[in-house]
Amino acid sequence: MRFRHLIHVVGIILIALAAGLLLTTAVAWLYGGPDVWAFAGSTVGTAVVGLVAFKTTGLERDLTVREGYAVVSMAWVAVGVAGAVPYLLAGVISSPVAAFFESVSGFTTTGATVFSEIETLPRGVLLWRALTQWFGGMGIIVLGIAILPFLGVGGMQLFRAEVPGPKPERLAPRIRQTATLLWYVYGGLTAVQAILYLVGGLSLFEAVTHAFTTLSTGGFSPRNASIAAYDSPFVHYVTILFMYLAGVNFTLHFQALNRRPGYWKDSEWKFFTFVVLMATLIMVALNLARSDYAGLGFEPALRDSLFQVVSISTTTGFVSADYEKWTVGAQFLLLMLMFMGGMAGSTAGGMKAMRIYVLFRQGLAELKRSLHPQAVLPTWLGKKVVRDATLLRIMAFALFFIGLFVGGAFVMTLLGHDLVTAVGASAASIGNIGPGLGDVGAVDNFGWMGPVSHLVLIFLMLAGRLEIFTVLVLFHPDLWRRYGRKSRARGDAARQVRQAEFKDKRIRLTPPGRET
Amino acid sequence: MKIVVVGAGAVGFHLAERLSEEGQDVVVVEHDPQRAEKIGDQLDVLAIAGNGASVPVLEEAGTKDAALFLAVTNRDEVNIIACLAASMMGAANTVARLSDPEFYAEGSVLSRERLGIELMINPEREAAWETYQLLGSEAATELVRFAEGRVQLIGLRVLPEAPVVGQNLAELDRELSDLHFTTVAISRDGETEIPTGASRFEAGDHAFLISPSSEVHKIPPLAGYEPYRLRRVMVAGGSRESVYLAEYLARNGVACTIIDKDRARCRELSEQLPDALVLHGDATDLELLEMEGVSDVDGFVAFTDRDSTNMLSSLLAKACGARKVISLLHNFQYIPLVTRVGIDAAVSPRLSAVNTILRYLHHGNVARVVTLKGIDAEAVEVRIGPTASVLGKPLRKIDFPEGGLVGSIIRDGEVINPRGDDAVQEDDRVILFALPHIMPKLERMFA
Repeated sequence: MRFRHLIHVVGIILIALAAGLLLTTAVAWLYGGPDVWAFAGSTVGTAVVGLVAFKTTGLERDLTVREGYAVVSMAWVAVGVAGAVPYLLAGVISSPVAAFFESVSGFTTTGATVFSEIETLPRGVLLWRALTQWFGGMGIIVLGIAILPFLGVGGMQLFRAEVPGPKPERLAPRIRQTATLLWYVYGGLTAVQAILYLVGGLSLFEAVTHAFTTLSTGGFSPRNASIAAYDSPFVHYVTILFMYLAGVNFTLHFQALNRRPGYWKDSEWKFFTFVVLMATLIMVALNLARSDYAGLGFEPALRDSLFQVVSISTTTGFVSADYEKWTVGAQFLLLMLMFMGGMAGSTAGGMKAMRIYVLFRQGLAELKRSLHPQAVLPTWLGKKVVRDATLLRIMAFALFFIGLFVGGAFVMTLLGHDLVTAVGASAASIGNIGPGLGDVGAVDNFGWMGPVSHLVLIFLMLAGRLEIFTVLVLFHPDLWRRYGRKSRARGDAARQVRQAEFKDKRIRLTPPGRET
Repeated sequence: MKIVVVGAGAVGFHLAERLSEEGQDVVVVEHDPQRAEKIGDQLDVLAIAGNGASVPVLEEAGTKDAALFLAVTNRDEVNIIACLAASMMGAANTVARLSDPEFYAEGSVLSRERLGIELMINPEREAAWETYQLLGSEAATELVRFAEGRVQLIGLRVLPEAPVVGQNLAELDRELSDLHFTTVAISRDGETEIPTGASRFEAGDHAFLISPSSEVHKIPPLAGYEPYRLRRVMVAGGSRESVYLAEYLARNGVACTIIDKDRARCRELSEQLPDALVLHGDATDLELLEMEGVSDVDGFVAFTDRDSTNMLSSLLAKACGARKVISLLHNFQYIPLVTRVGIDAAVSPRLSAVNTILRYLHHGNVARVVTLKGIDAEAVEVRIGPTASVLGKPLRKIDFPEGGLVGSIIRDGEVINPRGDDAVQEDDRVILFALPHIMPKLERMFA
């Protein structure tokens, strides 16, 4: 592990981020907002830090696997810090931890906010919130690989550590081409959605910011009431469609754009779509039974149910209705959907439909194995067999995911939050959803929490976005241990000492007078 | 006619033996010098030791003026190269034994036409298909189709409780006049008899009957069998034959369990055959067989690479109560033993290969030749030529050699169950049965 390498790559990412900040500065200046200087200052600061880090260090060779993991985690923390600076400089958030929370919530596409009053915020700040999500959705490292090829960063290690799903697929032989193609699809879909919003009557600013946060499954909105602020079924359905598209594997979109649509052949897609449709069906039934939809008819019940189901299961977190007024059963259904999340290779969070499906198939196989102990039962994902190594990794992932969720909820209750709030906040953070249940529900925010609660949730958001392993591996001693000639010599010496001690002890343990 | 056979394994040896008995000039190329020497000593053939894919060796064997070139080693690559070389050197017809299903796939780059091979044979697939056919019948030890499937030959064991036990054929003919079948051979204690009206059925007889295909299912009850439906099959051994069989079973909705003792092979099989249940274990492990319900299966098929394992696991399965037990035997000298020890039927990929090649050789008026397993008799399908000596004579008046008979006559697509008054006409197809040494004489009379 060479820290020079880590700092070098983080420097590159910060330079890329400065470009985003520069764009925001320009927009803030156009709107004549009071936050121009805050963004201008952040741009310069980030660019200077990035350049210094980049110039004073260098890559002597390609990154190792271990360095890849460390770099990705470090870059995300660094970006989170840099993204928090404008909030502080603009004076919209006073607590540094709260600003860091807002920034990480943006980059991880969680969408949990500390602001209670959003619409009065300057335009620059609003754009920056949306932009952090848009960058984070496809991944800042992937962005770095795609747009900054001349900087010479690459390698599967980085890609693998950031892209959601058990195993990233390649669209092209080279990773850089793959990353670029993914960004084209992502950018293209964002543009189409923004145009549809314009058709639906939104202002340019709101159309673009909402498109940014929909395709990234982020869920930040420049409006207090989120999508519920627009009383237009068209806008709601457009949002539903694009949230759904963002929750689908981008490789499938890429194939469809190349006139080779493969949705029907993909078993994960079938599973994901089936779950979303079934959940919607149940939700509609639950809502039609309630009095406030009884008078409105079928369409609003269907639209609100579909919206909330898609929003939560793709981990976007937009709301078109206050689901906390719905029945407890409906709320629990949403909580369950938080765990699944979208498909692998999408911008959504959660455990991913593929992992749930594979675990389900594996469960069935184990059931069968109880009856046929000597059976050889491969786990099928469509027409492909899941390799044992992948299967074990998925199981470990599920264990860590559930473990972190439970642990996070436990810590939240220790910090004095009630059970529903703690469970909701923990699930919404690790799943990168945003709104949770209880005091952090659909129409609430996270601004009232203390800094310790914020830090716990920040950790969960990062762990969830980077798919657990990338973050947890930082806590494994082997990542930091040196394996050089020196240390081996040291190890040998230590072993000799131990053996000598052991011998010594044995001799002393022999009863006196019986030594041979 | 000069014939070159590459490979003196079981298939090559048997082919060389049959062809040289028929009076052909046979040259055998075999890479193992010892085996080459052995075949040269045992048969009236010229044996050459050398690689069958090597051009000088093929030249030495006189491939350029061979009327027929048969590449039947157990290696696909050698057979292909040998056939390609042979056809370039001038061999008139080439036959290759190829086990890889890819060569038979539709649109394959290496198809039969592209390779210029006259006939490709896949012994494993043929054995699997034969097994599947046999599994479909509760009693059959042998099922052969003639005349595009209009007529079938069925071989079965007569059970002690069979209604026909103790009756002679003339009595049965009167009693069962609404059934159309001809008893063509009865094998008892290793002796094969081509029956006459006075022949009797006894318990334990191995009987061969011919009947229109639509009526074949009426025969097993006469021999004491209860009808059954094939629902569950257990296959011991994950060989290539097993894969083909499992595919046939899956396509017809029959549940299939495969047992193999190699873990990696099990993994391959389970990925190749999503519908089959693959078990890792020994096919002769009684505990495993019982746990997996061998007593309830409709069919048990032993398809491992070793004949001894196949025999043993078949016997175990039969003892446990499996209804129909079929064993694969590579060494077809064991086949006559099989039905005597209680295994219901045997298949042999190599014998299927030999039969297919012999059928290909007897073109002209002879459409199909079948060597029956377990007994000493042959079946031949012949088209009556304009000069046949039997033309127009009632069968009663034909001077049949002892040990031969007419099993069925097919005229304009109609199946005629032959009686003494029937006469054959030109363009009829008849199915003849005879002891092997009678057959050439019979063929001459009819062809």
